[in-house]
Amino acid sequence: MRKLIIQGTGMVAVFLFTWFALSEVNWMSIFKVEKLTKATEEKLGKTIWDWFNHSEKEIKDSEIFNTVDSLLTRVCASNDIYRDQVELHIVSNAEVNAFALPGNHLVLYSGLINSAENESELSGVIAHELAHIEMEHVMKKLVKEVGLSVLISMSTGNSGGEIVKEAAKLLSSTAYDRKLEKEADLRAVDYLINAGIEPIHFANFLSRLSETQPDIETHLEWISTHPESQRRADYINSYREGKPLEEVPVLANGTWMRLKEYLNNLDDNF
Amino acid sequence: MISIKRFVYEPGEHELEKASNSYVMSLVAIIGGLPFPIINLIATLAFYVGNRKGTYYVRWHCMQALLSQFSVFLVNTVGFWWTISVILGYESISNQYIAYLFTILLFNAAEFLGTIFTAIKARKGVHVEWWFYGDLTNLICKP
Repeated sequence: MRKLIIQGTGMVAVFLFTWFALSEVNWMSIFKVEKLTKATEEKLGKTIWDWFNHSEKEIKDSEIFNTVDSLLTRVCASNDIYRDQVELHIVSNAEVNAFALPGNHLVLYSGLINSAENESELSGVIAHELAHIEMEHVMKKLVKEVGLSVLISMSTGNSGGEIVKEAAKLLSSTAYDRKLEKEADLRAVDYLINAGIEPIHFANFLSRLSETQPDIETHLEWISTHPESQRRADYINSYREGKPLEEVPVLANGTWMRLKEYLNNLDDNF
Repeated sequence: MISIKRFVYEPGEHELEKASNSYVMSLVAIIGGLPFPIINLIATLAFYVGNRKGTYYVRWHCMQALLSQFSVFLVNTVGFWWTISVILGYESISNQYIAYLFTILLFNAAEFLGTIFTAIKARKGVHVEWWFYGDLTNLICKP
């Protein structure tokens, strides 16, 4: 019996040792897994963004874009995120909505920018979406909901427009699961603190929009897709507590108000 | 890993074929059952049940084939569900995952070659005992 136990243990040990030894090889690099995944993600992101671009009007006005871009740049630069890897899109749409697409596309609706009372609130939303991108939540959600084979056929251009539309709607108007939302919220708090931006404003933004939800429900896409906003505001506040922060303004005096004016003028023109 | 021993008696011609078939059964199952590990085990188990009233030599080899299949079944099942998790997006591809696939591939290949070797030997009446599984079979299977 003793011999048997020794032999059994030996066999398990040989298995584990083989696994451990093989794990030391960088297979991801040998098989170029990351490169292939990235290429697929980029093609997928382009396909979905192209669909949006056909149905939505992107704002390319430099005054508006540069102001929002400086908030994104601050958050990226303070958190070792390569700014150029993120593609920022500002869409003229009255809905309060923001979302991330595969291939690091970050989409902000003008309605959301208008709902923010200050630059810190908007930075909070940007940091939250950036966290989804950095933590690879976007692809996880798509793979889970749409399926890997469908995504691969989408990235090779072999799928119909209906599937692209379904994926686009899924990313822009449905929530991530609660665990992923919380992860993104807390990561956003870290990003904001590193960037010298007070995260309490982000919590206030969630709190305020959740209170006004019954009146203008149809326009508050970001809140309706991010349920339990008050609960989120609470845990953001408690996570932020005790963390030292030296606030550094991102925008020059008056820039925020000018951004709002530009947006309002654009709305009048559209 | 594999040792040739004298069996307690000299098996007859009709026993040799059945004993050899118990390994062939698991071979066919390996080919058909690679994506679904349970198939290997069910096929070998069915053959074992069919021969549980056979002679000692036949039962012994059916049992050794079954036990060896069981451990392969366990490691393949982990690999199978890990792969399903990757496809469904719960897990991502990592060095550990690829290394695990190679490890089970190696163990399956070793099992495959060992099975072919033992099936041929058993057909010729040569009694082959595998490392660990042979002793385990001696413990479970009695004349």
